[in-house]
Amino acid sequence: MMQATLIAPLRRLAWPALSTRQRAGALLLALLLAFAWLVPLWHDADPARQQLVRILELPTLAAPLGTDHLGRDMLARTAAALRLSLGMALLSVVTAAVPGILFGVIAGWRGGWLDRILGSVADACLALPGLLLVLLLVAIAPGNFWALYVGISLVLWIEYFRVVRARTRVLVASPQLEASRLLGFGPLYLFRRHLWPELAPQVLTLAAFGAASAILAMAALGFVSVGLRPPTAELGLMMIELLPYYHEAPWAMAQPILALFVLVFSLNLLAGKDPR
Amino acid sequence: MTSLTLSRSSPSRWRSGLRGLLLQRLFQAGLVAWMVGTLTFVLTRTLPGDMAYRIAAGRYGHDMVDSAAAESVRAELALDQPALGAYFGWLWDLLQLDLGRSLVSGEPVIHELWHQLGHSLGLAVMAVLLSLLLGPPLGLLAGRKPAGTLDRVSEVAASVLRALPPFAVGLLLILLFSVALGWLPAAGHGRFAHSVLPSLTLALALAAVSSRVARNAMAEVSQSAYYAFSHTKGLGSRLSFLRHGLRNAALPVVAYLGVQFVYLIEGVVVVETLFAWPGIGHALVHAIVARDVPMIQGTALVMGLMFVALNTAVDLICHWLDPRRRET
Amino acid sequence: MSHPLLQVSDLTIHGDGVTIAPFSLSLASGQRLTLLGETGSGKSLIAQAIMGTLPQGLTPAGELGIDGTSYAAADVAARRTLWGRRLALLPQEPWHALDPTMRAAAQITESHRHVAGLAPGKARQATQHDLAELGLEDAGGKLPGELSGGMAQRVAFAAASAGGAPIVIADEPTKGLDAPRRDAVVELLARTPQAGGALLTITHDIDVARRLGGEVVILRHGQVVERGPAERILEAPQTEYGRHLLDAEPSRWPAPPRLASAPDATPVVAARGLAKSRGGRQLFSGLDVSVLPGEIVGVVGPSGCGKSTLGDMLLGLASHDAGEIQHAPGHRLGLQKLYQDPPAAFSSHWRLSRLLDDLVQRHRLERAAIVPLMERLGLDERLLARRPGEISGGELQRFAILRVLLLEPRLLFADEPTSRLDPITQQQTLSLLVELARERRCGVMLVSHDPALIARLCDRQLALEENAEAASRPSAKAEPVSLA
Repeated sequence: MMQATLIAPLRRLAWPALSTRQRAGALLLALLLAFAWLVPLWHDADPARQQLVRILELPTLAAPLGTDHLGRDMLARTAAALRLSLGMALLSVVTAAVPGILFGVIAGWRGGWLDRILGSVADACLALPGLLLVLLLVAIAPGNFWALYVGISLVLWIEYFRVVRARTRVLVASPQLEASRLLGFGPLYLFRRHLWPELAPQVLTLAAFGAASAILAMAALGFVSVGLRPPTAELGLMMIELLPYYHEAPWAMAQPILALFVLVFSLNLLAGKDPR
Repeated sequence: MTSLTLSRSSPSRWRSGLRGLLLQRLFQAGLVAWMVGTLTFVLTRTLPGDMAYRIAAGRYGHDMVDSAAAESVRAELALDQPALGAYFGWLWDLLQLDLGRSLVSGEPVIHELWHQLGHSLGLAVMAVLLSLLLGPPLGLLAGRKPAGTLDRVSEVAASVLRALPPFAVGLLLILLFSVALGWLPAAGHGRFAHSVLPSLTLALALAAVSSRVARNAMAEVSQSAYYAFSHTKGLGSRLSFLRHGLRNAALPVVAYLGVQFVYLIEGVVVVETLFAWPGIGHALVHAIVARDVPMIQGTALVMGLMFVALNTAVDLICHWLDPRRRET
Repeated sequence: MSHPLLQVSDLTIHGDGVTIAPFSLSLASGQRLTLLGETGSGKSLIAQAIMGTLPQGLTPAGELGIDGTSYAAADVAARRTLWGRRLALLPQEPWHALDPTMRAAAQITESHRHVAGLAPGKARQATQHDLAELGLEDAGGKLPGELSGGMAQRVAFAAASAGGAPIVIADEPTKGLDAPRRDAVVELLARTPQAGGALLTITHDIDVARRLGGEVVILRHGQVVERGPAERILEAPQTEYGRHLLDAEPSRWPAPPRLASAPDATPVVAARGLAKSRGGRQLFSGLDVSVLPGEIVGVVGPSGCGKSTLGDMLLGLASHDAGEIQHAPGHRLGLQKLYQDPPAAFSSHWRLSRLLDDLVQRHRLERAAIVPLMERLGLDERLLARRPGEISGGELQRFAILRVLLLEPRLLFADEPTSRLDPITQQQTLSLLVELARERRCGVMLVSHDPALIARLCDRQLALEENAEAASRPSAKAEPVSLA
């Protein structure tokens, strides 16, 4: 009888309350998302289609943001590059957050040998600076989106693990958890009512910062020509491709820089706190 | 001597806990070597079949390449041996610091690394010093008056800088100082003027973060009970700041430097490439493009070890600054 | 008779929803005055206004006379130069007031050096002298994190008074200290008037006020309720609030209802030969303890002697090294605990109604039982719409009692449940707890630092000794309380 409700269903998990700054970031991010995914609906230019007769054109009705050095439509390319960056960010954040939180809670809750093993694995992943690890993986499979993605996720999960583990350790030893345990509540209830409300804001911050670093890492690799390969529309790649034409077409070169800036800026706003 | 009088402590006290700290970093260095070795070994195994030919062609010229040359490359990478044995052979070479020869230039890797390391270290040290000159003092000033004008302005500047990747900052600096104003060279190496823009690029990114860390640390210290007590017991603002503010605010800033070195290493890769600075990062990118495995291994190893060394330095400074670390 | 050392005329404080009515005082050499009041009475604000350390948003007005010189209360800058030299402030919570990264001796030396203006060598000598005088010979080389609360208080006292200020303001100097340490601090404070200085103490502890003597001012909501010599005010207060406040002193509490059960009833918990060591240190051994249904057993002993650990062992939260523990038969929810810091025992993110619903659903409790119990505990139903941080500590602790009692516990371990509450709230909370425990035949173990409280409420007491002696003595048995 008593055991019937021992495992409380994981009903609603509370969302963290957002500050004004975070709301502004979320709004900006939503606008970028809308831009990136809505552009193809009403502007059907192919981001890869070259038109060598109309290179580096100023914005026109046909190409609202102009064309690049190969006559490709800048609006379509910028939107495509944003989709790529956001997709990569989302994918790597999810793959990093899920195991990071899971292992963090387990290590912080259980402690002992399990904690030590997971902690050592995390330390090992951090021994090399993140980008170096990603670079080595990319060297193994050049130009491959998945190599990039695995590398970035491998670096990102540790941050979740560490933060969640540290917080869980403190909470597990706290009177509030002990009190609920004495009152007969099970582990899922303890997670939902005690752990998650404390962890959620930190997870959001980490996710936003993680997404920003994933985007920056991909752009950096593209910029030094070891990331994704042309003709992919990718922000870093677009910058380095358009660099020689900064004099003739400054507006073209400004676009990927501006897009990357707004994207990362909105994510930093969403993260809320200063890094610490 | 009124400034920063550190609590007097005997040498033995200072040394306590130091061994564990250094051992830990030594272990990390070993781990770095193993990871780099393993990943580059996997890299040799995934090279496409005609790689030995292509590398040989790259090294000796297309006309000179023959199967003998390709064989020598194959032998160099141990492509003809069974995987497990080759793996241990690979690690054994690494352990003896035998990094082999570059597949592109044919020079011993260690030779090339030696030059590049000097250039990269110079750049990194200059960038860190410059960032320390810019960031923490600004942060300390801002933190003494939270929500003041300086705090607001520096926060906006830091947010903008943090949202721009180092290569974009570098690009903008080139456009401004080299192209528009013509004051400084855009790329190259040799004169002091060449190093200004790359180190400034890196320093700005570092300072954007460290100024905020310093600001938060100082704001926290100035709201602390011990800072208030230092005032009410009669020390005055100047002495309170020097004796109790500075060190306590410096601790998080220095500790955060360790985290910042990740950005520094990453920044070195892109900034060197952008400014054609002949350092390790530049070489690593070139090696990856050319698939020059021994060079990839060498450069990645040196960068990883540089990271460990910088972190060790941070540990030592924290150890010296914070007597709490020396207890227990 | 010389001029007063400290004179305050018509001091008022305004802003941020705070108003302190005009307040005046006059302290001559050798005199002392104590401001007594509960949380929110504004007693600390008066001290801060005199020092010139009021938080932003609060503005003082009025006139201060310090050592014969007159200052406007609003002119904070002028008083800064007096800090440490004429005016000394003993901070609340000395642990936090000491620089965590500087050794104790250095923090005293810098006052001698930079405030009193001694040469470096002389300053170090003066520090050694201070340390020896305060019984801190070994503490000089320690960091604040390694000091006990009492030691930190003495180090802070030495650092604050090294400048030789004749006027000492002590803001809640006994907060968080247990009874013996509290007495030591009172003795320390008494040195100032003995040496010809003036002492202004802010406290909520009536006992501290009584021991310090001199003039006492009772404050409530920023108003002076009553003032006069300590002997008169603290024996026969004239106002209703004054009487109310004094009645909240444990020695004046009404006696609790008598324990009705027969002494041979089955104990709710009985333990024999318990032993426990922690961190290589023997906390106790050969300890026997038993609690009858409805009985209140007091647990006393110095900090760190293992009182909480004993509770955790009896509740099954911690293991014991030796001995055996027997619980009366019943469901496992029969063992419950009350915590020292009520907000720490709750997740701050949920409304109380949600937490109560969780409990009802989890154990299929009768909702009908809740309302009458809430009425008994004096909990308004509207409180349920708030979160734990949004109600007072006393209310939250009573909510904790409600939650626990709904499960019909057999044994309740109350770990200093009222040490963070104001005296009046403390009395209300504890008398309710005792009453309900008697009614429901729930055994209670009540931990407290206050011997008077234990003597008043408990049927028996268990005294734990400092570890070293406890190990050699046969046992620390629960003995009947000798009612003073």
